[in-house]
Parts: sequence; C-alpha cells; structure tokens
Amino acid sequence: MNGPTIAARPTRPRPGARTWVVVGVLITYTVFAGRQVGFDISTFWNVWSNPLWEKFWPVPWDWVLDWHNVLDPLLETFQIAVVATLVGCGLALPLAFAMSPLTSPNRTTMVVSRSVMNVVRAVPDLFWAKLLVTAVGIGAFAGSWALSVFSLAVMVKLFSETVDGADPRPLEAAKATGGRHLPVIRTGVLPTVLPEYVAYGLYVFELNIRASVVLGLVGAGGIGRVIEAQRQYFRFDRVLGILLLVFVVVIVIEQVSVAVRRRLV
Amino acid sequence: MIRFDDVSVTYRGGVRALRNVDLRIDDGEFVVVVGLSGAGKSTLLRALNGLVPATSGSITIDGTEVVGAQSAELRAIRSRIGMIFQTFNLVNRTSVLNNVLMGRLASVPAWRSTIGLWPATDTEIAMQALERVGIVEKAYVRAADLSGGQQQRVGIARALAQEPSVMLADEPVAALDPVTSRQIMGDLRRINRELGITTMVNLHYLDLAREFGRRLVGLRDGEVVFDGDIADVTEETFRHIYGRAITDDDLLAVDGEPTE
Amino acid sequence: MAAGPTTATDGRPPAPTGAASRRLALGALLVVLVGWSLTGLDVTVDRLLGAPGDAWDIFRRMFPPAFAEAAERGVVGKVFESVHIAWIGTLIGALVSLPLAFLAAGNVAPAWVRVPVRQLFNVIRAVPELILAMILIPVTGLGPWAGALAIGVHSIGTLGKWATEAIEGIDEGPLEAVAATGGRWASSMRWGVLPQILPVVTSQWLFRFEINVRASAVLGMIGAGGVGSELVSQLVFRNFPAVGAVLFMTIVVVLSIDTVSAAVRRRIIQGAGRAPGNATDGDRNAAVLADLTGIGR
Repeated sequence: MNGPTIAARPTRPRPGARTWVVVGVLITYTVFAGRQVGFDISTFWNVWSNPLWEKFWPVPWDWVLDWHNVLDPLLETFQIAVVATLVGCGLALPLAFAMSPLTSPNRTTMVVSRSVMNVVRAVPDLFWAKLLVTAVGIGAFAGSWALSVFSLAVMVKLFSETVDGADPRPLEAAKATGGRHLPVIRTGVLPTVLPEYVAYGLYVFELNIRASVVLGLVGAGGIGRVIEAQRQYFRFDRVLGILLLVFVVVIVIEQVSVAVRRRLV
Repeated sequence: MIRFDDVSVTYRGGVRALRNVDLRIDDGEFVVVVGLSGAGKSTLLRALNGLVPATSGSITIDGTEVVGAQSAELRAIRSRIGMIFQTFNLVNRTSVLNNVLMGRLASVPAWRSTIGLWPATDTEIAMQALERVGIVEKAYVRAADLSGGQQQRVGIARALAQEPSVMLADEPVAALDPVTSRQIMGDLRRINRELGITTMVNLHYLDLAREFGRRLVGLRDGEVVFDGDIADVTEETFRHIYGRAITDDDLLAVDGEPTE
Repeated sequence: MAAGPTTATDGRPPAPTGAASRRLALGALLVVLVGWSLTGLDVTVDRLLGAPGDAWDIFRRMFPPAFAEAAERGVVGKVFESVHIAWIGTLIGALVSLPLAFLAAGNVAPAWVRVPVRQLFNVIRAVPELILAMILIPVTGLGPWAGALAIGVHSIGTLGKWATEAIEGIDEGPLEAVAATGGRWASSMRWGVLPQILPVVTSQWLFRFEINVRASAVLGMIGAGGVGSELVSQLVFRNFPAVGAVLFMTIVVVLSIDTVSAAVRRRIIQGAGRAPGNATDGDRNAAVLADLTGIGR
C-alpha cells in the first residue's frame, strides 16, 4: 500500500499550567530575595575602582616568611588537619557501616546512626567550630575537634555511598560461614572498600587544610588566627601574602594527594 | 557535480584512510559505496563535507573547492550537503520538529535559533520534510520516544530540511532490522528520484547494495577498486572488493526472509 | 637420590614479604605523625578527657531552647535571610559558570581558551567564601550583599568545574550532526551540548544551593548577613538557651531545603534517564521489535 495519505499536521502543544506556576514562583522569589539581599548591580563595575585595593600591595614578604609570624601557625594548621582527618575518618568507618543497610547489624542502629548524621550534617561546620571554641576555649584544640566533626560528616557522606555500592557477593559468602557480625564485615566488605576509603581520606585531609585556614577566623587556631588578626589591623598587604603562601601550600598538597590517590585506586 | 581528484586522507598516527581517490559523480546519481570496515567509506563521505580534512588532492562540488575551505565558506558548503548517520545523532530530549529544524541552522539568524524562535517559512520547510518521510504526526513527540526506524526518518527529514543538493548517508541502516532497513533504503531511493538530489550511501550489506544501488563504488584499503553500474556487479566483484569470500555477515537477509 | 633440598613445604610459593613490612612502615609513619601533631597542639591527656565533658555541659545548657525570645529578636527572619543570600549567590554562580564552562571543556573549546578558563575556576575554588567575604566587606559594606557576592563568586569555581566535566562526558554524535548542517559553534553548543547536560547541570545547581545555605549561615559570623551573627552574639553573652534556639531553627531550615532539593534533583535525573543520551542496544532492539510488530508506526 503505497498511496501517500499524508497525515494531518499536529498542533503544537503548549506548556501546562503547572510549568507556568513553577516558573512564576521561581522568578518572584528571585526578585524578592534579590531585594532582601540588597542586590546592587553597580557593584560589578564599582568594585574595581575601590581605593581599598591599594592597601593590598606590596606584599611584605620578609614578614610573611618569618617563622614565628606565619610559618609556625601554618605548621599548626597542618597538625590540626592531621588530627582531624584521622579522628573524623576513623569514626566515619564504623559509622558508615552502621548506616548502610548492607552492613548494619540491625535496623535500629541503622536508623539511629542515619538520623544523627543528618542532624550533624545540617549544622554548618563553622558553627561547630564556634560552639566548640566557646566550650573548650580558643585555640587549636577546639579547632581539631571542630574539624573532626566536619571530617566525620564529609567522610560519612562520601564513604557510605561506596559501602552501599559495594559488591555484596563476598559479604554474602562471609555471612554464609556463620561468623559473627564484626568479623563478617572485616573480611566480607572491608577489603573491597579499603582503597576508596583511603582515597577519600586523603581528599578529606586536603579539605581540612583549607578548612582550618578558615577555622582560625573564629579563633580555632592555625593560620586563620593570624589572618584574622592582621585583617583587624587592616594590614591587608600581609593578609594577601599569607593567602598566597597558603594557596601555594594547598596546591602542593593537592598534587601529592592526587598522585597518591591515583596509585591507590 | 562532485569531483574527487587524487584525494588522499592520512590521519594523525599515519593511518592512510584514502589513497589517490578519483571519482566523478553527476547530479542526481544514486551511488552506493561498499567495502570492509576500515576501507575508507566513512572517510570518503566525511571528506566531502569537510568533517575530515583531506590531506591532499582536490574535492569540488559544482566547482566549489572543499579542501582548504575555512569556517564561513565551509559552513556554506555543508549547508548544501545533508548527512545521515548510523547512530541517527538526534537530540534525544527535544521534539522531532526541533530536530528537523536543526537542518535550517545555517540559514536562520543565530539569535533566533538559540531561543527557538524559528521563522514560519523555516517551520513550513521542516513540516514538509516530515511529510515527505511520512511521520509528520510525530512532530511534537520527544525524539527518544520513537523507534529506530522512525528516528532515522527524522534524520532524513533533518537532512531534507536543508534543501540540499547532495545527501550523504553513512551506514544509515546498520542499526536497524531487515524490514526497517529496506523501508529506509526505499525512502532514500524515492527521494533521490523525486527530488533529484545526488545521493551517496555507505552500505555494509551487499544484498541491500545490489537491490537499491544504481552505481556501485567499491573501496578496499582506501583505494577505489570498483566503480560501475550495479547491473555489472557479480559475486566475483564483491569478492574482489572485499578481498575475501562473502559470508552471511555481509548479507542483510538470509534466504527465506520476506523481501519487500 | 635427588641432590637438591626436599622439604615438606616444597612446591609452595614463598610468602610475599613486601606487603607486610610496607604496611608496618605506613602504620608507624601514621603513629609518628599523629603523635607529633598532638604534642604540637599541646593536647594533654586531661584536656583530651575533659573536652567531651565540657562540650556536653554546654549542650545541656541549651535546653530548653529559648524560642520565644528568639522569635522576638527576629531570628527566623535572619535564618531566611541566609536562604535568600544562598539563592542569589547560587544564581549568580550558575549563570556565570555555565557559559564559561563551554569555554573550558576539552571537547568543544580550543586549548588556548580552555587552559586559562580552567585555571580561573581552580583559583576561584581555592579561595574560601569566608575570605572572599572578608575582602568584599570593606568594598560593599557589611550586610547580606557581601555574603551573596562571596558565595556567588566562589560558586562560579565549583559549578564551573562540575559543568565542564558534564560537557566533557556527552555523546558527540549530535555535535557532528550540527556541524554537518553547516551550523556555527554556538549552535552546536545550544543544540548538541546543552540538551544533554541540562538535567545534570540543574541538579548540580540545586546541590550547590544546599551547600550554600550552610555557607551563608557561616558568613553571618563576620557580618555578611544571615543568622551567623546571631549565633556569635548569643555565644559571646553565653546565652546558651538562645544559642540552642538559633541552632535548632538553622537545622530545621537546612534539613527541609535538603529534603526538597534532593527530591527535585531525583526527579530531574529520572526524567532525563527516561531517554538515554543515545539509544542503547537494548533500546534499539525494543524499538526494532515495535517496528516489526507494527506498533508505533
């Protein structure tokens, strides 16, 4: 049958009412939020000509590279990151196992651990820092604790996805031997997920280095304290110098971490 | 008229895909290109619209030189050549009509095509193209919701919407079943006859080539080893082109399958 | 008879020695690292043991949270202000990062454009929002606008990187098709790339929004608008019930936004998954079957 009975052209469908409502709501909210926030378009061209930028230059390198001023606090930042990563990631391992339906000992544990983690992750990391600073006093100690919580949160989020997606077959085999829960996990799941665990751990360490810079701004020790102090004296040239130095350090650590991670996974 | 004059294409890494190819194709011809995988069929078609740059030689379409043509010139050349792909290459998430309208990209101002405000004349051309391949009723359906054969029809319509003087089809039916393959080949042949568009089709299946082709070009290792009328083609010809005996894999339908 | 050694364990391969000693060395390194860090941080045992107790003490003193007092002071409004800041910031980041991402992707942009844009993303990402806000406040003045800008600029870096990765992961077939019709580069981007990446990119924007809500709460601590300033002032006065109220409201809002955003993101990705970027073999076979049986013709 080859007679071409050309079908009638269909009419163009219009987007439904629901689409329009959603678009309308989004636009209205954006305008509203913009006004609440004080959106000021002129900033985009004004910001360049602000005389304040002159205070950032030139950078006093002799002061910045001085051990007592900057390098020692930077070392402290490094140490905070180490402790925080190890504590946070260390706790994250059992917690992630408790949270995953695959590896959780029982349903209550799973539900409880998930809820706790949800709440912990809902609190901004610097809030933790500020709280802990108030609780245990200013300094690197509070910083380590705060970052530990932060590391725990990030690590749990990343790692639990790995655990959820782990190959269930070795786990099944381990369970079939009738072993108790912990040895079953240790042999049936841990070896599978360990490379990713270490890789994530290195990533969290990178994050901690960066975060501890910021932590210091709320008094939790490390290089951030120095930055905040200099900022309050309006010594922006020193601030810029410190930031540049930190930037370099972060890049170096990042490169090392990437190289190590690549060899792992 | 299409002319390949001593055209060679060498890819980076030293692979010589085409060697000293000479071809003359008159307006309105229907040419089927066959050859083993890697013989240079795809390269031949893509050299014609510049998707693959020729390393040496000259390719002209109606006197315009393709080799060495730059941006605006090249785009102008391409706008007159419609191309159909083995994997259809449709924009899956948008409507059939929008896909066909992409054939009008070269002639519609950039701002209009970007926000989707196509002029009425171009929409009309697209609709007519859809009518010509017989799926206009699917105009507003999401491209991905169509069957393979329908998607390829959309691909053909897109090429038609360009109002091209040349149509290139790179293994257009390799991803389709036997029945649909014949339908698509039938469409291509019909369009060639009704509209007089010069057509070059790469084919993997030799029985399809014999059934639908009028002129056959055989490539082997980048060289043209056969160029002639389909009536003159025998088993021996194919064996010569392939350099080996013909197997069942080279045929679309095994004996006993219903033909159209 | 045989001249060589024939022990009972002949034939068994010797145990590899490298791994165990490597692991031992690694373990030792970690212990040294931690020990050095802890001493460097002046962490003594009694401080260590005392810390959880101190923290718990504060936590206890937050109950019952002083909601009425907080409502009076307009804390709820401040929490919402943080949301507005995050929204505007994310929007700025999204709208600027997307066009830039086209310039940064390896499969669509030439190297001389690609490299600087990618470096730009990296540099921006390296600067924490807090530092950005610190730099901006003297320029824009205290208040939410500084916060929104800081978040916006920082988001350009992250969203740009994610979008670039999305672009680099597309099926390039439609790109070839646009080129074959004689379309320009911009049309290739609009029709070949954009439809493929839009679901995942929108989902990335929403995810970033979730993170930014937390970030904007924090920015308040240095005066860039939002609820952070409330937290700080109440802590300074050691008004723990008020602190509890602030925390509670922040958590509630953050969790709600997270939940809604996650649901929307899931719908977006599922909607895209309905039609894979390029029909898989399974899909094609199903389509072929439909053609053969005459359904859908």
